[in-house]
Amino acid sequence: MNASDIVIQLDGKEPAEGPIVGRSRSYEPGEILSGQYTIDATSLGGKELSAVEVSVLWYSEGKGDEDLDVHEFWRKSTDDGDFIDPMRPERFSTTLPRSPLSYDGLIVKIRWCVRVRAFVGRREIVAELGFQLGNVPPPEEVEQ
Amino acid sequence: MTPDTAPSENPFSTRRIRPGAVTFLFPEGQSCRGLIERLRRNGWQGEIVGPHGSGKSSLLACFVPELHRAGHETVRVELHDGQRRLPLKLRKLGRLSPSTVMVVDGYEQLGPWGRFRLKFFCRRRRLGLVITSHVPIDFPKLFDTVSNAETAQLLVDRLLEGYERLIDERDVLQAYARQEGNLREMLFDLYDVYESRRRRQSSPA
Repeated sequence: MNASDIVIQLDGKEPAEGPIVGRSRSYEPGEILSGQYTIDATSLGGKELSAVEVSVLWYSEGKGDEDLDVHEFWRKSTDDGDFIDPMRPERFSTTLPRSPLSYDGLIVKIRWCVRVRAFVGRREIVAELGFQLGNVPPPEEVEQ
Repeated sequence: MTPDTAPSENPFSTRRIRPGAVTFLFPEGQSCRGLIERLRRNGWQGEIVGPHGSGKSSLLACFVPELHRAGHETVRVELHDGQRRLPLKLRKLGRLSPSTVMVVDGYEQLGPWGRFRLKFFCRRRRLGLVITSHVPIDFPKLFDTVSNAETAQLLVDRLLEGYERLIDERDVLQAYARQEGNLREMLFDLYDVYESRRRRQSSPA
């Protein structure tokens, strides 16, 4: 099983994969982000899915120190008595915060994504789908 | 903590170049396992020596997990510029197994008393001690990290795998020369070059 066996889709937002272009997968602060994920059951190879975690989070990247914060988190685990059916799409929904807004800076970038982490035996498979929060324009480069 | 699974648009962003993110490039015939063997022969004492930005911390990032795989626990200490004392109380470390190796990154920052206390502590508890330093101290040599243009190019080639090649060999040589052989600063420099070209390429004409 690998990351491509987990498919994340956001309601009403296309395209469902690839880079964010224009207004695709773009949200305003306070808007509801909802969607679903599916796991290809045939890829489990007979092993049991012991837990699935879904996060809506932002992280910084670029030069210098990096940061991350989880806005919303859900977990289903067979240890906790949850029933995990890989054949059935699982839904999620959250109200997005006012900040931090997505930003494509030269030195620091702020990225938002939905992350799904599936635990199969000892293995952990992670898939992510990025989205944009807000509409902060990229900076202009200063001529040196 | 960062979501390392998400791809980065710039191959020289921090998440891709920080110690441990890139596999250390050993010279032919050398490896982490070989270092463990050398450390064992030296009575579990050794120093990793090299100039600023030559890969000492990156080497530790591959060496420490290899120590764990070989059954040794480690206590890791990082000392930064001007930090003359250990950032932990040795007596509060509690009971450590005899196969534990203390790993002190930036050992030469310690003052004479701090060095004495650390060596005495390790000797008394029969612990291993691996240090990094910019200059040789008085430990058995474990590894010398060196920086040269060839290593710089190999490192950049590895980072550019899977990315558009907006950086060429001349860029690497120029950045290496600008940063006077400091590989870490060279990579920061190349971040700016790559970012600038990536944006120019993707902005509408």
